[in-house]
Amino acid sequence: MALKIRYNRMACLLVVLLLPVLAFAADSAKFEQGNGLYAKGNYKGAIGAYNSLLKDGYTSEALYYNLGNAHYKNGDNTEAVYYFEKAHKLSPGDEDVNINLQFARLKTADKLDQPTQFFLTRWWQGLMLGFSLKGLAIFSIVCFLLASGALISYLYAVSVGVKKGSFYGAIVLFAIGVFSIVLASSQSDYFNNNREAVIFTASVTVKSAPSNAAKNLFVLHDGTKVSITGRNAGWTKIKLPNGTEGWIISTDAREI
Amino acid sequence: MRARYYILFFLTWITSVALAQDVHFSASASKNQVATGEIFEVTFSVNGNAENFTPPSFSGFQVAGGPNVSQSMTSINGNTTMSMGYSYDLMPVKVGDYNIGAASITINGKKYTTQPIHIKVVKGAPVRQQRQSQGQGGANPNGGSSIGDLDEASSDISKSVFIRAVVSRPSVYQGDQLMLTYKLYTRLNLEGSQLDKMPDFNGFWNEEIKQPSQNVQWRTEVYNGKEYNVGDLKQVILFPDHAGDITIEPMAMTLVVDQPMPARDIMEQFFGHNIKPVKYPAKSNKVVVHVKPLPDAGKPEGFNGAVGKFTVSTSVDKNELRANETLNYKVTIRGSGNIKLLTAPTLVFPADFEKYDPKVTDSTITTEKGVTGYRTFTYLIIPRHEGDFTIDPIKFSYYNPSTGSYVSLPGQSFKIKVKKGLHENSVTAYSDQQDVKQLGKDIRYIKTGSGDLQKGNEPFFGSISYYILLLLGPLAFGGAWWYRKWHAQYNADVVKVKGRRASKVAAKHLANAKKQLAAGNSKLYYEAVFRGLYGYLSDKLNIPVAELTKENIAAGLRKRGVDEPLISQLTDTLDLCEMARYAPVSGISEQEVFEKAKVTIDGIEDKI
Repeated sequence: MALKIRYNRMACLLVVLLLPVLAFAADSAKFEQGNGLYAKGNYKGAIGAYNSLLKDGYTSEALYYNLGNAHYKNGDNTEAVYYFEKAHKLSPGDEDVNINLQFARLKTADKLDQPTQFFLTRWWQGLMLGFSLKGLAIFSIVCFLLASGALISYLYAVSVGVKKGSFYGAIVLFAIGVFSIVLASSQSDYFNNNREAVIFTASVTVKSAPSNAAKNLFVLHDGTKVSITGRNAGWTKIKLPNGTEGWIISTDAREI
Repeated sequence: MRARYYILFFLTWITSVALAQDVHFSASASKNQVATGEIFEVTFSVNGNAENFTPPSFSGFQVAGGPNVSQSMTSINGNTTMSMGYSYDLMPVKVGDYNIGAASITINGKKYTTQPIHIKVVKGAPVRQQRQSQGQGGANPNGGSSIGDLDEASSDISKSVFIRAVVSRPSVYQGDQLMLTYKLYTRLNLEGSQLDKMPDFNGFWNEEIKQPSQNVQWRTEVYNGKEYNVGDLKQVILFPDHAGDITIEPMAMTLVVDQPMPARDIMEQFFGHNIKPVKYPAKSNKVVVHVKPLPDAGKPEGFNGAVGKFTVSTSVDKNELRANETLNYKVTIRGSGNIKLLTAPTLVFPADFEKYDPKVTDSTITTEKGVTGYRTFTYLIIPRHEGDFTIDPIKFSYYNPSTGSYVSLPGQSFKIKVKKGLHENSVTAYSDQQDVKQLGKDIRYIKTGSGDLQKGNEPFFGSISYYILLLLGPLAFGGAWWYRKWHAQYNADVVKVKGRRASKVAAKHLANAKKQLAAGNSKLYYEAVFRGLYGYLSDKLNIPVAELTKENIAAGLRKRGVDEPLISQLTDTLDLCEMARYAPVSGISEQEVFEKAKVTIDGIEDKI
C-alpha cells in the first residue's frame, strides 16, 4: 500500500517538473489557425494570430520562424529579419531558419563584412550553435538518467560481462552528458554576452557619443543586425562586425 | 587778365578762410560781360570738406575746360580750415543775356546752393560752332585748334595724343572690385585706330563694362593745364585674386592722327594748317594696384571669399516627398561684389541624402558701380530612406569692405518628411552586395507542426526543474547503492537474521495449527503448536534443536531478562502440547491452548 503511494507521488513530481517542457497544446489551435491563414496567403491575418500568441506569453522557435515568414511575405523585411533572428537564437542549428534569415538579410541596405575567424573558433561555434538549447538540456538529462541506470545495473548484475559493459557504458554516457551541458552553457553564455539588436528606423545616423550634438560617424539602415555593447540614458552603444562602434537612440533598434 | 582771376580767387579764398567755421558756398564769374568767343572763368568756392558737387548746366556756353579742382588746407593754432574751388572755363557762343544756374554741394550732410550769375554776351570775334563729336566712328575732335598753343602740340605728338589707364581706387581688399578705365586724350584729329594689345590682367578676374554704344563718347577735359578731347576706350571691373602690389600691363594701340605741319607760306597760313595723317603707336601707363589681404581677425567659419555686399535666400521645392524622389534645394546669393567668383557654399545635408553637384545660374549686370546681380546654386538631392530629416541652415558669410568687417548671414533650416518609397528599387540595388550562393527562388515554408509553444521566456536550461531532472539519475544511483550496502549489512549476522525470522516461522506453524484445528484434527494441531513454539525458541534463543530442553529454554529466556510468569506460562504451554500429542487433555480447550501459545510468543517478542 505504502509503496503504491510512493509511486504516485513520484509520477506527480515528474509531471510537475516536465510541465514547462511539455506544456504545449494549450493554444496550439491558434497557432494552427495562423498557419492556415498563411497557407491561404492571408499574411496579415497570420501575423495577427501569431502576435496574439506572443502577447499571451508564448514563445517558440516555430512561432518566431512562422512570424518572420509572414512578415517577409507581407513585404516587411525588417520585421522578418527580427523574427528570424529570434528564431535563430532559440534554435541556432535550424537550417530553415538560417536560410530564410539569409534571404531576409539580402534585402537589407547595409553590407557588413564578417571578419574571418580562426578555423577552430569557427568549428566550435558551429558545434555550439548546431543544436537548440532545449534539445541539449533534454539530451543531457537523458544521458544522466541512462548512465545512472547503467550504474545501478552494474551494482546488481551477477554476470561479470554485464557488470563490465554497464560500467563502461555508464562512464561514456556520463561524459556525453557533461559535454552536452558544456555545449548548452556556452551557447547560453554566447547569447547572453552577445546581445544583439536589429535596426528598425529606415536611416539611423550613428553618433560618436550618446548625444545629439555628437559627431556623426556613419549611417545604418533598417534590418541591419548590430551587437549591443552598452547603454546610457536612452542611448545604446552598438558595435558592427568589423569592430566599429557608435551610439544610437535606443528606440531605433529592437533587441533580439 | 589771368592775374585778375587769381586775385579774385585769392580774395574768395581769403573770405572763406576768414569765415572759417561758417559754411560759405559762392559762385563768381571773372567777367559779367563777355564777347562771343572770349573765354572767361566761373568759380564755385566753398570752405569745408565738400561732397557731391553738382555744377549747373552751362546752357548757352561751351565748356572749354574744367572742372579744375583746387583744394587748400590751413591750420592756425590747431584750428584747421579747408577750402575747395571748382572752376570752369566757359566760352559764350551766341549774343544775349544768360543766367548761369545754381550749383549745389553737400557739406556735412547739408545741401548748399549758390546764387545764379547773370552774364551778358556781346558780339565779339566769330566763333566756329564746336560740335561735340557724338557718335561718328573715327572721331574728329578738331576743337583743340581753337584754343591753346598749336605750335606746342605739333612739335611733340606724344603730348597731344596719349592713353591713360586710371583705376577708381588704387588700394583695395582682395576680392573687392575696382574699375579700370582706359582714356584716350587727344588734341588732334583722329583718323583711325587699331587695338594692338589688351593687357591680360594677370592677378585679376575681370568683367568688362558694356558700353551703351559701340562708339567712343567724347568729352573735353583739362589735363595738366591743357584741354583735351577725352574718350573712354574701355572700362573694366577688376577683382584682385591675391594680395600684394599687382601691376596692370599697358594697353597698346596704333592711332592714325592728323599731324599739323608748320605753315610753309602765307596762303597756307591763311587757309588753315597743313595736315598730314601719321601713324602713332600709343601706349598707356602701367598701373600698380595695392591689394590688401582680408583680415584674419573675425573670419567666420566657412567663409569662401565673398567680398562686397550680399543677401542669401534658400528654398526647397517641397517639404514632403517619397523616398527615391528628387528634391531641389536652391541657394540664391544676391548683391554686389565678386558674384561670379562665388563657390558653392558648404552645405551639410542629412547623411542619407544623395547629393549631386549644384547647377549654377548667374544673372549679373556690370556698370561703373561694379558687378551686381545674383548667382543661384540648385542642388538636386534624393532621399533614399523614409524618415523625418532636417536640412541644416546654410552658412554664408562675406566681407564688407566698406565697413571693414565680416558679415555672417543667418540661414533657414528645412524640415523634410520622407515617406516610404513606392518602389523598393533601392533594395534590389543592393542585392549583389553579398556573395551568397544561389539558394532558391523563395524562402522556406513555415513550420506546420503544433510546435513547442511554451509560456514565459525562462529557458529550460538552467532552470530549477532542469537541475532536479538532471540530478534524478545520480540520486537514483545513490539510493540503489545505499540500499545495497544496507541490505548486505542487515543480513551479515546469521544469528540475528535467524532471530528476526523466528516469529515469522512460528507464525507459519501457528497458522498451520489453526488449519488443523478447523479440520478437527486435534493430534496434528497440537503437534503444529508444539513445533511452532520449539522452532521459534530455537531460532530466537539460538539453541540447536538437539539441545533444546525446557531447562535450556528457561535459562536462555532468563538470560535475556524475560520475567518468570512468562517463562512458567511457556513451560506450561509446552507441557500441555507435549502431553496432548499422546493423550487427550481436559480442563482446557484447544482454542485456549492456541491463544496461550500466541500470547506467549507475542510476550517474548516484546521482551527480546
